[in-house]
Amino acid sequence: MSHLTTPAVVMDNGTGLTKLGFAGNDSPSFIFPTVIATRQASGSGSGRPPPTSKPAFLGSTPSGGHLSQKRGTEDLDFFIGDEALSAASGPGYGLNYPIRHGQIENWDHMERFWENSIFKYLRCEPEDHYFLLTEPPLNPPENRELTAEIMFESFNCAGMYIAVQAVLALAASWTSSKVQDRSLTGTVIDSGDGVTHVIPVAEGYVIASAIKNIPIAGRDITYFVQSLLRDRNEPDSSLRTAEKIKEEFCYVCPDIVKEFNRFDREPERLQKYLVDQGLGKKVSVDVGYERFLAPEIFFNPEIASSDFLTPLPEVVDTVIQTSPIDVRRGLYKNIVLSGGSTMFRDFGRRLQRDIKHLVDARIHRSEELSGARSGGVDVQVISHKKQRNAVWFGGSLLAQTAEFRSYCHTKKDYDEYGPGIVRNFSLFNVP
Amino acid sequence: MLLLQYHNLLIQSILTERFSPDNQPVSIDQVISDFDNVTYHISTPESKTKILISLSIKCFNDLQKYGVEELLRQEYGPYIVSPPETGYDFSMVIDLDQLPPEIDAKEALIEKIALLKRNALAAPFEKAFAQFDELSAEAAKNSLDLSVPEDSGADVMAIHYRDEESIFIKASHDRVTVIFSTVFREETDRVFGKVFLQEFVDARRRAIQNAPQVLYSHKEPPLEIRSVPGLNASDDIGFVTFVLFPRHITRDRRDNCISHIQIFRDYFHYHIKCSKAYMHSRMRFRVADFLKVLNRAKPEVAEKERKTASGRRFGTR
Repeated sequence: MSHLTTPAVVMDNGTGLTKLGFAGNDSPSFIFPTVIATRQASGSGSGRPPPTSKPAFLGSTPSGGHLSQKRGTEDLDFFIGDEALSAASGPGYGLNYPIRHGQIENWDHMERFWENSIFKYLRCEPEDHYFLLTEPPLNPPENRELTAEIMFESFNCAGMYIAVQAVLALAASWTSSKVQDRSLTGTVIDSGDGVTHVIPVAEGYVIASAIKNIPIAGRDITYFVQSLLRDRNEPDSSLRTAEKIKEEFCYVCPDIVKEFNRFDREPERLQKYLVDQGLGKKVSVDVGYERFLAPEIFFNPEIASSDFLTPLPEVVDTVIQTSPIDVRRGLYKNIVLSGGSTMFRDFGRRLQRDIKHLVDARIHRSEELSGARSGGVDVQVISHKKQRNAVWFGGSLLAQTAEFRSYCHTKKDYDEYGPGIVRNFSLFNVP
Repeated sequence: MLLLQYHNLLIQSILTERFSPDNQPVSIDQVISDFDNVTYHISTPESKTKILISLSIKCFNDLQKYGVEELLRQEYGPYIVSPPETGYDFSMVIDLDQLPPEIDAKEALIEKIALLKRNALAAPFEKAFAQFDELSAEAAKNSLDLSVPEDSGADVMAIHYRDEESIFIKASHDRVTVIFSTVFREETDRVFGKVFLQEFVDARRRAIQNAPQVLYSHKEPPLEIRSVPGLNASDDIGFVTFVLFPRHITRDRRDNCISHIQIFRDYFHYHIKCSKAYMHSRMRFRVADFLKVLNRAKPEVAEKERKTASGRRFGTR
């Protein structure tokens, strides 16, 4: 069989961005928004269609122009990714986001999204390749089955593995020098654009009951930076400028009060950001306290939001404390960061310190109450170079191993047992 | 997307990014796959400014017989590295410091590299067209009747580009015949494929008179390739024959013709998959419709007279 030599395809479809590439590479080949532009019957132009209220598996029908009424080649008239965004800025096309909150909502669109990703972007014959797909934690098994139906029946792909994103993020952390044993036990802090998850994983299994979500993520930080810019009446306070400032200047400080003082003492810490507004017009925007204040909303959420007030370290601590007692030590020892919003300098260090404080305080109290001595708990937050696309990278890492194929369900298995087969995947044994 | 592109989008985007003078050179190490068991490897083994692009193609041995090396030397002459990277069939190095300064020239170079697979596979076609030129010139000299098909002495060129599938090319004085053997692993695919191929055969009759003649035969290999050894005539094999007449392979159309015909199999399979996706979306729509009907259908609740334990009725108010 020819697919013995072809590299496996790793596809990580997230709410915001899709990462596509071949196993063995150290970065995804394509990163583009998970969006599909289809022809709209009434030329209403761009704009999101109203969110559908139907259950996901019914497939939602965009008003008016549903495919099933079409008889020509309309089903091929669509764009995905960046091309979709540019197509939708013209007339005739409307944007659709097939994935919401990490889960696939519109299977029609997703099927065509995959079709285009495979044939146009990756240019591979799916019959020759194995596929590794990702799913969010708490994905219903029905969604897995529907995914398998599409992958095996539409595309006849040779084999498939669906991995939980958190587990892949753990695998990606093996590249860090701090990790000695390649275990699949740890706490994953996955912070993307929309939402931050804290997910405990014990030996490859997600502890679903202990997962916690925080409504603070990349977009909120951007909004916070923007509001600070607006308060100061900066010449340019667009969302894009705020985002750039967030990415280029922000870092996590150990102590806000001291940092404020340092900024006052050392004026060179206040920096300037040159915005190119197009047409050769350039304005300069001051970058001040938001450099350390913006990421601070993870640790002191009250400075930005009024409805969510628990700091991230406390959430992580709670998550680990609600996990089974025999894995807690492992969870504290291996706290792994993943996603773009964890890329701030010293983010990991600060998180480690704060969690350590919480844990030490608790140990101290129990020592006082019981009178016994405790050996202490090791808290370690691991940050590494591949953090931004950790999920994809973890997938690439696992899919290039020789054993990967034996963990996949093949087309033959699928034909024999039906879609129910993908409800279970054997876990990767750690080499 | 109705047609597949001929160039590799990923190579194009990587090189476009690297060639732009604003970007700092970085190290690259990427394995890229393409249709028909083609694998590329883009890396920077020596220094960050020297990009090594290697190609591995399954049927390279076949292609070598038909002058692929010469063709590639013509296209990529100054960049070729010999011997190629281990495990690959063809390598070239692009030095970022020695790029042509003009933007147009850069883009042309990117385009040329992105078409690497197309150019490699083009070798046997080019050869067949050259043979055709020779044969037709000879035939004209001997004033043979051009309309009478005659078996020429030219060999059938076989390219085993996939495990079970091959392309056969045969030139004669009035035509070039290209035959694809196709195998479907899936029952559904075979049905779709049959419908598609029938459409190809019929297209000429109905609308496009200028299209090349397409023949489809199941199990039986066409006469042209009966003599080729190693034809496995199993039940699920089919043969698609394209007959290219002189009007399809005039000098200015040749390149286009080669691009079109060598992507045929991928195009064909892509559209089978698209139709399946379309069918699925119709099925989903239908299921959603039926579910609506089911949800509306509620068993009627018969109005029952309610009494108290002692047998008295509730009065209506």
